[in-house]
Amino acid sequence: MLQVREVGYRYGHRRNWLRPRKENSFVLNQVTFELNHSSCLSILGTSGAGKSTLGRVVLGLQKPHQGQVLFEGQDLYAASGRFRKNLRRDIQVVFQDCYSSVNPLMTADQIIGEPLRNYERLSARELKRKTGELLEKVGLSVEDGNKRPDQFSGGQLQRINIARAIALRPKLIVLDEPVSSLDRVHQSLILDLLAELKASLGVSYLFITHDIQAAMTLCDRVAVMDRGEIVHLSDSPASLWNSQQTAVKNLIESVLPDHPGDRLTLF
Amino acid sequence: MMKKIRQNTNGSSLIVVCLVLLSLFFLIALLAPWIAPYDPVKVDLLNKLADPSTQHWLGTDHLGRDNLSRLIYGARISLGFAVLIFLSALLIGVLVGCISGYAGGWLDTVLMRMCDGIMAFPNLILVLGIVGIFGPGLMQILLALMLVQWVYYARICRNMVISLKERSFIAAAKISGSSSWAIIRRHIIPNVQHPIVVIGTLEMGWAIMDISALSFLGLGIQPPNAEWGSMIHEGTAYIRSQPELMIYPGVLIMLVVILFNLLGEALSERYGVSKREL
Repeated sequence: MLQVREVGYRYGHRRNWLRPRKENSFVLNQVTFELNHSSCLSILGTSGAGKSTLGRVVLGLQKPHQGQVLFEGQDLYAASGRFRKNLRRDIQVVFQDCYSSVNPLMTADQIIGEPLRNYERLSARELKRKTGELLEKVGLSVEDGNKRPDQFSGGQLQRINIARAIALRPKLIVLDEPVSSLDRVHQSLILDLLAELKASLGVSYLFITHDIQAAMTLCDRVAVMDRGEIVHLSDSPASLWNSQQTAVKNLIESVLPDHPGDRLTLF
Repeated sequence: MMKKIRQNTNGSSLIVVCLVLLSLFFLIALLAPWIAPYDPVKVDLLNKLADPSTQHWLGTDHLGRDNLSRLIYGARISLGFAVLIFLSALLIGVLVGCISGYAGGWLDTVLMRMCDGIMAFPNLILVLGIVGIFGPGLMQILLALMLVQWVYYARICRNMVISLKERSFIAAAKISGSSSWAIIRRHIIPNVQHPIVVIGTLEMGWAIMDISALSFLGLGIQPPNAEWGSMIHEGTAYIRSQPELMIYPGVLIMLVVILFNLLGEALSERYGVSKREL
């Protein structure tokens, strides 16, 4: 479904003869992977590894300087106009910071209804009914639809973000650190919700995270990124434990043991 | 004094008082033909420079025209044109600011350098220059003041848009299929409205001052029509014998400007807009 081919991306101001481009300034370098229907690929990596940039490239927000992003066989950045809008409809997002990913002046209904208003011609009543359904699907109540973001907790806001992401029944949702801004309890609740939605909607996830445990609970495939490159890509999450890559080892060692002083015993 | 007023009344009641008094001014201006006791341009040379009496509550000027009527009709010009300038500058400024901040790149550079150019000039000199080219008259003044005032709205709007653009709800809106125009309309403009209202209120005060100043210089409204600034100008000849001819319109200008400034202060406090941001 999603094919990322040798994608390269670099940040920085436009260079000129006064400021020559530095060698090797790529944030993404030759990134290649595939993602199938109803599956979940986790992109692991420390901050600065380029995983959020990869997410933005896949979402169609940042055109890569090299390579291609194919979605259902179509180049995401070559399409234009209405065709592109329809292609993008199937890729939605949940961002890390739940507070800044909702407009503080809108009600929950308006937030969740925005994608619906953009793609479907619905009457006000139908829209209200649909947003109500979506709210219930993510574990909130219909009455919450009239509240504004400052009346919700972080976990509830993240549920609203998820409701907005699934509103158009997309084929792929990019989850950019969706639980990192929440406490442990809400992390696991949100992960449960995501797993449940994946089963009921048949949606694929590109799960960007630095939390190896969260990745384990949700994903069937893992990729590890380090300094803009994918250093480990495998069909079984357990393979991480046999990897000799320093980046992978660092990630594994960062997991807190159940009891202080214990060595890690996940498997 | 401002501080004392603010301490004695909490923010919102100050807003109410200012709004009530200002709307009173606007109401008087609007209803001028029904309220004013005399025709403001009717000359009565037998009665010139009369003292206040039951017929002429505020006396008459050097041509025997009723001062009160002229003040009331003058409010129409001063306030009416200030509102026109405010609205048009606001519209242009917010639009340019949003586009500039949202689009970025070369468009942003061109628009902002244009703003810098206008801001680098002292306003009054720029306006005098424009009026000098196109000749005196209210329309020219309106155009000139609009041209210098929109930059303030554009500047603040652009800066706010740039900081808003970093928030992920803009990216989320883009991903959920909203066009740039829809994002500006649904997400950006509602989030910049408070500072814009504050700066707009303060700019209203300036607009009234500028109109009066230009009319005082004889560049705005042409005689025999009345405007507060031009009334002060006409009064200068009688500063020794009849200083009230200058005092009446002067006091009114001062009152309205103070009200707008107080309202702006109160609103900025209410909305939590810091002065530095402006």
